[in-house]
This record gives sequence, C-alpha cells and structure tokens, in this order.
Amino acid sequence: MNAFLQQLRMSLRLYFRNPMALIYGYAFPAIFLIAFWVLYRYDRVPLIRHMGELLTVTVLGGACFGLPTTLVSERERGVWKRIRLAPVSAISVVSSTIAARYVLLVVGGLLQVGLAMAFGMPFPRHPIELLIAFTAVSVAFLGLGLVIATLADNVPAVQALGQCIFLPMLIIGGVAVPLASLPDWAQHLSAFFPGRYAVEAIQATVNGSGLQATRFALLALVTIGAAGALAGGRLFRWDAQQRFMSRGGKGWVAVALAAWIAVGVAAEGRGRIATTSTVAEALPTPPPAVTPTDVVASAAGPVPTVAPPVPTGPIPPAVPAATPETGPRTTQPRAIPPEGASPMAHLPVPQAGSTAAPLASPPEARTSVAAPAPAPTGPSTWQAVAMKNIEEDILFNRVPPDGGVVIPVASADRQPDPDVQADLDELSAALPDWAPGKVADPVQRVRNLLYVPSVVDVFQLPTEPFVPLLVFDQIQASVPKDDLIKILYWIAVHADEGDDSAIAALQPLGVRQGSVDREEVRGRSGAYAVKLLGRITGKRPGN
Amino acid sequence: MAAKVQVRNLRKRYGPVEAVRGVTFDIQDGEIFGLLGPNGAGKTTTLECVIGLREPDGGTIEVCGIDARARPRDVKQRIGAALQSTALQDKITPREALVLFGSFYAQRAAPETLLERFSLREKADATFDTLSGGQRQRLALALAFVNKPDLVFLDEPTSGLDPQARRELHGEIIKMRDDGHTVLLTTHYMDEAQTLCDRIAIVNHGEVIASGTPEALTSRSSSRQLVTVVASRPLAAATFETLGDVDDLVVDGERARFHAAAPTRTVPLLLARLEQRGIELVELHVQKATLEDVFIELTAAERSE
Repeated sequence: MNAFLQQLRMSLRLYFRNPMALIYGYAFPAIFLIAFWVLYRYDRVPLIRHMGELLTVTVLGGACFGLPTTLVSERERGVWKRIRLAPVSAISVVSSTIAARYVLLVVGGLLQVGLAMAFGMPFPRHPIELLIAFTAVSVAFLGLGLVIATLADNVPAVQALGQCIFLPMLIIGGVAVPLASLPDWAQHLSAFFPGRYAVEAIQATVNGSGLQATRFALLALVTIGAAGALAGGRLFRWDAQQRFMSRGGKGWVAVALAAWIAVGVAAEGRGRIATTSTVAEALPTPPPAVTPTDVVASAAGPVPTVAPPVPTGPIPPAVPAATPETGPRTTQPRAIPPEGASPMAHLPVPQAGSTAAPLASPPEARTSVAAPAPAPTGPSTWQAVAMKNIEEDILFNRVPPDGGVVIPVASADRQPDPDVQADLDELSAALPDWAPGKVADPVQRVRNLLYVPSVVDVFQLPTEPFVPLLVFDQIQASVPKDDLIKILYWIAVHADEGDDSAIAALQPLGVRQGSVDREEVRGRSGAYAVKLLGRITGKRPGN
Repeated sequence: MAAKVQVRNLRKRYGPVEAVRGVTFDIQDGEIFGLLGPNGAGKTTTLECVIGLREPDGGTIEVCGIDARARPRDVKQRIGAALQSTALQDKITPREALVLFGSFYAQRAAPETLLERFSLREKADATFDTLSGGQRQRLALALAFVNKPDLVFLDEPTSGLDPQARRELHGEIIKMRDDGHTVLLTTHYMDEAQTLCDRIAIVNHGEVIASGTPEALTSRSSSRQLVTVVASRPLAAATFETLGDVDDLVVDGERARFHAAAPTRTVPLLLARLEQRGIELVELHVQKATLEDVFIELTAAERSE
C-alpha cells in the first residue's frame, strides 16, 4: 500500500513537472471551453448545455492519449524494467499510474466547471451525481487507454491508435458534434461508441434530471471500462519485446471490443438511438415533386451560408424513444380548407410533379447575400397577389425540413426541456406587447414577427424549434387570413425589402443583443414565411 | 556452508535461439563472483533469470536458500541489482528515486546515507535528465542498495564508463565485499574480472566452459607463459629459434617476445646464450597467462571440437 501511494504521489509530482503534459492536460480543455463559450455566446445560460461535451473531451484526451503515452514511454525507456527488479507487482505499477491519471482528470474537470462558472454558468444541478458520472466516464476511457497502452509498442503507435478512437468519437460519436445534427446512420453507429453515453451521463447531472434517467449510459460506461481493464490486464507487457505469444494473445482485444458491441446492441434493442427522427440531409433535388404530404422534403439548392452546426436540442435523455415525426401534421388545421370568399377561391388539389415554374424560387434567396430576384411577372403590390402566383412561384418542397438544423419548427408533440420552457414562457408572455409586432402596416408587422424565429435560428438558441410555433400563432391572430396569405407570399418573394430595425430590438423577448448578419436573418424570415404559408394553405403542412 | 546462490542446469530459449544451455554455478557468501564472457554469451540472460526478470525454461535457482523460481518476490526483497543501463523518469531526482524505491521493500536504507555513500549529495535534487553517465551509474548502484541487500547483482557495471569512473567503480565494488555483501557481476573485460573477482565462471555460447579463482584458471591452463626480453643490442631471431621451447616469436630490434611452455628451463638457457654473445640484458619479464589467454585457449578448443 505504501508502495502504491508513493508511486501515485510520484506520478503526480512528475506530471506537474512536465510543462507539455500540463499544457495538454489543462490548457487545451480551457481553450476548448472558451471556444464553446464564444461559439454559443447567445445561450442565455453560458455553457450549461455543453458541459457534457466539454468534460467528455477532457477525459477522452487524458485517457486515450495522456495515460497510454505515460505508460508506454516509461516502458520504452526501461523505467519499468528497473521497477521490476523490486518486489512490486505489475498491478501496483499500472494502477498507481491510472489512479494518478484519475486525480488529474478530476482536477481538470473541476477547473473546467470553475471556469464555466466564471463565465456565468450556475452550479451543476446534481454535483455528487456529476462526480459519479465523471468517474464512470473516466473508468470507461481509462480502460480504453490501458488497452491502447498494452497494444502500442511505442509512443507514435499510441498517437496513431489514440487518434483512431478519438477522432471518430468526436465527430460521429456524439461528443463534439451533437447527435441531432448527425445523419441517421451515424447516430446508429454512435451507439457503439462510449462517447455519447459519456456526454449523456454528464449532461444529465449538470442541467438534467440526474443519473436516474441515464442509468443505461452509466451501465454502458462501466461495462466498457471493465472490459478494457480486463483486456488491458491480460495484455499487459513489462517490455515491448515481450510479444503476445502467451495464452490467447491479442484475442483479449476482442473482449474490449465485445463490450462496445454489446452496449451498442443493447442500445439498439432499447430503441435509444435517434434523437430526432428527421435529420437534415441536404439531398440534391431532382425535379421537385410537390406533394403536401412529402414530409421529408429535401432541402435543395445552395447550402445555407451559415456554418451548419449545432442545433440545440436537448441531449438524448429527454427525447422519446419513438420517432416522433412520422406523419404529416398541421399545427393549424384550420388553415387547410380555403375560405370561399377568398380571391383565391379554389385552392387547387396539389399536383404531383412540378408545375414547371422555373422562376426564381424565393426560398433560395434566403441563402445568398444577393437580393432575390422577384418574379418578373409577379404582382406589383401585395394586394395584387393571386393564388396563381403562389402556385407558380413558391416551391414549398424546397424549404428545409422542419426537423432539420436550419429553419426548424418543432412538431406539436415535442416537449421542450424545463429551462427551454422557461425561456419560451418569457417570450410568449412578451410577444403580444412587443412594439414591432404591433406596427400599423401589416406587411411590416409580419416581417417583424418573422424576424423573431429567424434571429433565434441564426443564434442557434435551444428554443429555436419552438419559437416559430409561438410566432405563427401571434401572426395569425393579428392579420386576417386572406391578407396574411398574400403578405406571406410578398415577404417570401421580397425578403430583402422593408425595415429590418426590429432585428436589433429583440431584448424585450428575452433574446440577447448580438451582432448578426441581417441578410441572413432576412433570408430565414423569407423561409419561415414560406413555411407558414404552406401551413395555412395546406400546401406544406407542418411535419 | 551453503552457497548464497545455487544455479543448476539453467536453460533459457528465445524462439529458435537457446541463449542459456544448462548453466550451473555456486556463489559463496561474501565473495565477488564474475560471469565472464563475450557479448552474446548468455551472461545477462543468466543474471536476469536469477534476479527474476526472466522466466527460465528449465533448471533450478536458489538464492539465500529461497527457491527463486517459486518465490521471486521473496528473493527480490533480499537482493539489489544494477542493470547495464538504468532508466528513470526524466524529472525524478535521486532523492525521490531512493524514497520511491525504498517504499517497495520491507527493509530500507536511509536515502541520506546512500546519497553520501555514492557521492550523490550535490546532485540529490537534480533531475535525472541532467545527470552525467557516471552519476546515473552511481544512482543505479545506490538504488541497488536501497533495501540493504545481502546480495548485489551488477550487469556490466563499467561498460560505457570512462577509465576514471571505471577505476572508482572498481573501488566501490571491492568496498561492497569488504562491507560483507556478496556480489555477482557480469563483464566482458578480462582485466576487470581478474582484478575484482574472487571466483569466475567463463561463459560462452550459453555454457560455463570453465570456473574457479582467477589464479586457478590461469595456472590450470595449459598455456605457456609470455617472456619479454629487452637487450642492449639488436637481437637476431636465430638466437631464440634454437632454444627449442619458443612459440609465437616476435623480434623487433632490441626487443623480443615469445611464449614458452617451461620458462624455468628456457629462460636460463636464453640468458646463458646472451652472455655467450656479449649481449647485455636490459629487461626481462616472465608473465603468467592472463584470463584472456585462458579464454582464447578455451574457446579455440571449443571451436576445434
């Protein structure tokens, strides 16, 4: 025991004498945290939705690179050979190094939480459970690091093996890129990597409902860690020349991998994979097939000019297992039947196949800085808009799907997280009294109101899928339907016109002031106009 | 008295290569025992089997009366060892290393004493990466003594050291014996074995080909003695060739040297002949065979078998 403690103490001391290790272990996580803070600067509560990701990256770096680098470099240099002359067991050598690494990880984690709190994050909701979750994550990744250390013959091999695990986990494993913005196949794949469970478990303790809800993730992490420790113990080598000729040899790697597969299969079996069923997939569109029930209408044309990332949704636990958006659904059912008195008295039955209107399609305008080209034969005032114009000029199916990353609209049965709900309550209470939403000119009024979800979307706030529903209701309550249909068409085609000062006047609604590309917001407001128009006319019901 | 170390028929194979092929030797209490042989002879493998770094394929090893193969950790408590090169973490200091390694043993020496004894006082708090080769070697020795061992194993302790450091280390090793430690060392330097060791086992191709005290080995050897003559005038080869008992003659002006099987008979004959020719003698040396001679002879015999 004395030997173990002495080794632990010495490992820690030596670590703190190594400037490179300090930079890697502590400066990088801090930089990462600051980067997240900048990236998500419009979050009302700084960083709280990203602690799962940040802490997981810290553990991943320390365990997949830090631990095996230490172990392998000591083995390579012959330090272990000297230690082996003494009556100490391999277990004591390795476990003291692992314990030291765990201490370092905890210090790094505390540093990150402290720094986040300095930026304004509140104290984690379940601190003890956070430590438990953090420990489970450490167990999983330290076991992994041990397997890497036993497999790698030298330090470059550690780097190579570590990258093979680190990068995929960051990108498609649900660690650095949120699961919700990954395609379906990647979400299924991520179930086989420990990364997403790590993020899930930690996040649940920081601002979720605690570990109770993520017992599966916790179990997955501990299973993966235990399998790694077992395999690492069996594969252990005092020196790199000692090949795996004995019993089973590299076969023990299969044990570690089996745990990953078992966890993935169990997760699949529990239907815990998808976070949102419809995922933004930018498919090139063949000739548009206009069918109102075409739920997963592809987002065609140019990709939005903003960087795609980071939708916001809550991380897995709160998401129902079933795929929530499977059928057409309208949030404004009354919008489907046209009203007889309307100038566009007969809403045509939606046609299959394109209406062969190769006119500049307004929704595309939102994606470019250039002003959209108005339809050459279009009406000259909004009052002159006819149903024919809508049919010919608006390509409803070219607007991104509601479940996507840009221009999202939540399905009616999707429940926001409690803290998101609080923001929404504030917004919905303030919206009826918001001055720009009450201006006399109905076109400007609708424009102003549409800027609200557009700004929220550009800022990637967690409320983004829900705000459009509130705003749509407000718009419909304040403009008569017949006028509204014409106005929405007008805005969709002329998104670059009118006054945009309301974009900078959202503070009363609880949206922070921030610099934003106004062209971008205008573009998105045009797209939201199309979505609302589609809902009202039934040409593109909510999905 | 029971031997401190008893090795019987030790075998160790690396893949197709049999590095140690039935090595047997005993080490008595309080002696310096040398395993002598060329590089690759199997000395290091033998030593590493005895100290528990390698698992032998066959044979028995008893250290301080303990079966080393069955209870390696008990043996490790009683022995100290310094390997050919000792690597520690770059940033560890000698003092920290002594404390750390001390914690591995039931019985330990005070770090201060060891720092003093191995002249590491000044470098006690310098990090390992700043130590010179000689200082690292001294630290390795200090670590070997951290558990107050009965028995000390030194693998090629002086290889890579400059002559000064080597001489100092020889003094250290003799001091170890004088302090009552039993020492096993391996070396490929004949002179080192001859000056330091009380007894020697000569190892070649994984086998002990001869063993005994250096004196016994050299005298038992059939080898002839080396006679060196320096005269006042240039010498002629003919002066020697007719002596009969002369081999490997080299004549170089006033100097000549040759091997003689029976110098007690040959040298007087030579002196008489020189006097006969009016040549004055400046120097005359008769040297017993060295270990090197013994070694060359033994390995030559092995080759011719």
